[in-house]
Amino acid sequence: MPQKKKEMEVPGPRRVADILADAGIRPTTVIVTQGRKLLTKDQRVEDGETIEILSVVSGG
Amino acid sequence: MKCKRCRKAAAAVDLPSHHSAFCPECFFVFFRRQVEEGIRKFRLFSPDDRVLVCVSGGKDSLVLWDILMELGYRTEGLHIDLGIEGYSARSREKTLAYASSRGKEPIVVDLHAEGVPIPEAAKRARKEECSVCGTVKRYFFNRVAAERGFTVVATGHNLDDEAARLLGNLLHWDADHLSRQHPLLPEAAEGLVRKVKPLWRVSEMETAAYGFLKGIDYVTEECPMSEDATSLIYKEALTLIEEEMPGTRRRFYQGFLDPKNRDVPGNPVADACREDASKDGKDIGEGGTPRKCNSCGAPTYAETCSFCRLKERVTKPQGRS
Repeated sequence: MPQKKKEMEVPGPRRVADILADAGIRPTTVIVTQGRKLLTKDQRVEDGETIEILSVVSGG
Repeated sequence: MKCKRCRKAAAAVDLPSHHSAFCPECFFVFFRRQVEEGIRKFRLFSPDDRVLVCVSGGKDSLVLWDILMELGYRTEGLHIDLGIEGYSARSREKTLAYASSRGKEPIVVDLHAEGVPIPEAAKRARKEECSVCGTVKRYFFNRVAAERGFTVVATGHNLDDEAARLLGNLLHWDADHLSRQHPLLPEAAEGLVRKVKPLWRVSEMETAAYGFLKGIDYVTEECPMSEDATSLIYKEALTLIEEEMPGTRRRFYQGFLDPKNRDVPGNPVADACREDASKDGKDIGEGGTPRKCNSCGAPTYAETCSFCRLKERVTKPQGRS
């Protein structure tokens, strides 16, 4: 089944925008979360931290 | 990055298309104002209306229901269980859980019980699943609203959905669909209730951010029937443009709705838009006066409405033809 949620661990510290660019993900097509927090694209993710990338695009 | 509204809290949502960034509290204010302005601009409905909100269990429809309740409108939810193995059960579960958390109980139409689960109906009718789904949903939106006294049916279509649809309609010069593309489709006849899209000013990303920050637990998987939807291609094209030129998607769709642009003589888009925007699907798109379906009583121009024709094809015994 198509899943729109992706969990990834990244070597840090890195900006969310750079993580997305490396993964080939367009920043306006996702929201990036960390626990109950929503991250902006300029925020830094520290080494070993976990973020979630959730696609917002629906095809219906 | 600091919130550009309160200038105190850290921003949680950055919105390049609005040259802005907001903390959660200020984002809620922004989002609420966008939806209020969307309702006000075309007078989609008033506090006196009874609004039937179509809730699939996805982010847009649950956010729509949430914000309309917050704004104080009189709403009830309608969930149509499409009969798609696995996906429909999970969608229904999310819808019921959300409703229960807000002290609501949605109206549920089960397409298995109605004899038209989408995968089987499409197979037997030899039609695309999305086309069959559209016919069936429109039918039940109207029927439930008429039977239960709702004056408006609201769906969760957002700015990205409508801009992608506009791009597709323009690429194919589809005058018929262009004439009917609007956040407000007035009541066309008895039994064809007013349809509105209150989220037409907010993007998919904004809706998802709102849902996340409000703790709304929605279905994150895509409908398995819509994997090859052409709307995804149009959305991708617009995303490419949007990221280079933030705000273009919004200007594209809002420009289409602007009455100034609709009055350009000789423009085929303008001509299409000047036509009666109250048509609602093939049953009433063929001119003349609607009559009642001889099977279910729904308004139609044919003797039998498209839903009943579909149901007849789906339920008749399969054999040699």
